Amino acid sequence: MTISRRRLLQAGLFTVATAAVGASAACGGDDESGSTGGDSKDLSLWYWSGGLSEKVVADVSTQFSDITFKATQVGGSFKDKLVTTITSRQFMPDITGIKGEDIAYFMGQAGQFLDLNELGAGDLKSQYLEWKWKQGSTPDGKLIGFPIDIGPTALFYRADIFKKAGLPSEVADVTAAMSTWDAFFDNGAKLKKALPGTFMVGEAVEVYDMAVGQSTKRYADADKKFIGDQEHIRRAWDLATKAVQLGISFKVASGGQDANAAWNQGTLPAKLGAAWVAGDIKSAAEKTSGNWRIAPMPDGPANQGGSFLSIPKSSGNPKKAFEIITWLLNADNQARGYTDAGLFPAAPAAYKMSALTSPDEFFGGQVTIDVLGAAAEKIPIAYESEYDSVLREPFAAELSNVETKGKDPEAAWNDAVSAAKKAGERVGVS
Amino acid sequence: MTLSRTAAPVARGRRRRVLAYWPQYLAISPFYVLFAVFGLAPLLFSFYLAFQRWDGIGEMQFAGLDNFQYLIKDDVFWLSLWNTLLIWVMSTVPTLTLALVLAVLLHSVKRFKAFYRMAFFIPNITSTVAISIFFGALFATNYGLVNAGLEAVGLPEVAWLQNAWGIKIVIAVLTVWQWTGYNAIIYLAGLQTIPSDLYEQARIDGANAVQLFRHVTLPLLRPIILFTVVLSTIGGLQTFTEPKVLLGDTAGTGQSGLTMVFYFYRQAFSHNDYGYGAAIAVVVLLVVALFTILNWALVQRGQSERSR
Repeated sequence: MTISRRRLLQAGLFTVATAAVGASAACGGDDESGSTGGDSKDLSLWYWSGGLSEKVVADVSTQFSDITFKATQVGGSFKDKLVTTITSRQFMPDITGIKGEDIAYFMGQAGQFLDLNELGAGDLKSQYLEWKWKQGSTPDGKLIGFPIDIGPTALFYRADIFKKAGLPSEVADVTAAMSTWDAFFDNGAKLKKALPGTFMVGEAVEVYDMAVGQSTKRYADADKKFIGDQEHIRRAWDLATKAVQLGISFKVASGGQDANAAWNQGTLPAKLGAAWVAGDIKSAAEKTSGNWRIAPMPDGPANQGGSFLSIPKSSGNPKKAFEIITWLLNADNQARGYTDAGLFPAAPAAYKMSALTSPDEFFGGQVTIDVLGAAAEKIPIAYESEYDSVLREPFAAELSNVETKGKDPEAAWNDAVSAAKKAGERVGVS
Repeated sequence: MTLSRTAAPVARGRRRRVLAYWPQYLAISPFYVLFAVFGLAPLLFSFYLAFQRWDGIGEMQFAGLDNFQYLIKDDVFWLSLWNTLLIWVMSTVPTLTLALVLAVLLHSVKRFKAFYRMAFFIPNITSTVAISIFFGALFATNYGLVNAGLEAVGLPEVAWLQNAWGIKIVIAVLTVWQWTGYNAIIYLAGLQTIPSDLYEQARIDGANAVQLFRHVTLPLLRPIILFTVVLSTIGGLQTFTEPKVLLGDTAGTGQSGLTMVFYFYRQAFSHNDYGYGAAIAVVVLLVVALFTILNWALVQRGQSERSR
């Protein structure tokens, strides 16, 4: 009896051990195929819901019939899952999406990805927006992220409310009347006076981020030097605090119940946002269809969001993966991405296609690409540091203190700068 | 077989006896295996990570006590600790008080017992994310139901999610709503273990309802109360989902919804400063342990005094 039990245990242990050895052997095999560059016939793609047109992704299998293509929509925090997978060196996809807000971080991890220029991306460079291409490249010129979409910003506004308040309401007139922040604020003050309880700006940090995005510099430069206390940030800060002092800020973050209701009711008839905000407004304020318009942002466009596709260095077949990427993101398919998922193309050729040039009834029949396309080509090229997110935080926090607690803007600025410097020192930015 | 067993040294015999229970160990092993993989290993790794500098992918650099030294001087950390304690007190005290009242009421209910118990427990098994989104709408400034109610009775609107106290109140109310029923069910179980003859005797001695509660129910319920206080401490000091969903990564005006766990999450996963995130997590563990011991000692001391 005892013996048979023990034997069973031994058998069990043996099975576990064999399985473990088998598994590790399999992993070894995986690694090998990765390092040899490989000609794997099984390719996988990771993206997130809404990150690419599902229809275009589905067409990859017919377009590339010689391979087995498996696309996975990864839910939850995409970056965290990608980082975990890279760290574990297991189950890596052959192609992966990278969100715009994470691209600076992955630039610091460029060694984990293949330089797409080595696969021939250079020939395609002229087809895509220069600043977007730079954003996906390391300072020494390796292309890590191939452009999916962009987020050119503009001024979204309700023409009916502007008209009611006696403000210019036609796109051409708004463009002329609100070409600078000061003029925009003046109109905001007029709006408030004509229609009390109506606000031009959602919240101060919206103005702030837009104004920072209009600059060619952000919070740190390529040499890890802190530049958040310089003129370009100060300008954005002053503009944001001015909006607060003029009392034209609604003081509510967009995306919530309050902002959505205010869009509907006309108490917040304007929104500074990227092209994809059109989708937000359409779903949150369906009943106001026909009343909205899009005008250029005061003082020029910025960019918010927009993603990339990358090839991890472990990819089983980089050549094929690159072919798939360039097909997925050619101008025709970018136009489809705009129709299917509201992804604003990074290839200007798409701006002339019917998917983008057709009038939008929600925006009163406006051909919105006239404004957004022009904005897309004028976005400044800025160096994005992987530390921008941690350095920006004190400014956003202090700005909310000014806006909702009435903190003195000058004191708040000083606190923000010193907190950002301190946070910077921790990560080696000084 | 008998021979070899007697010949074996005592130690081996003991080991063999342990081995003899392998089916039992095997039966309970899934928990330990899962715990080791998903609980213990990450925990130990966090301790290790707290002394490193790591961006999540690249090489780790040994940082010694740097992370902790920075933490001591980090105003944002102290703010998050303060926020956490405030929110914890603001939610735990009403939760447990209300739960006790509810439990006593439930205990005397004669009809629809199962219905009430279920009704009170449902908030606890509802997704915190869903509740948070719902509360966000409820406490919206201009178009929220709560402010509509205030307005209806002639009170001014409150910008709940735009001011420091409003944010804490909303999070506390949310926690109270989610956890009162759960604790009431635990108290109810405790109440049912109190022999009814104790009440009868006290009543014969002339005790009224309040005296019954103070001198019979409360002392006998003390171990259960201790249990709920400890659980609420451990849970309440790790508040994260509610502010994250309600307020987003900024954590609201003046970061007043920034709890310790939220801060550690933000440092590690939003700013890719995993070493510092782990250091904060280690301190969270220490704070939770400290307050658990404190609470335990407080409630315990009360008990020993009373029994004296």
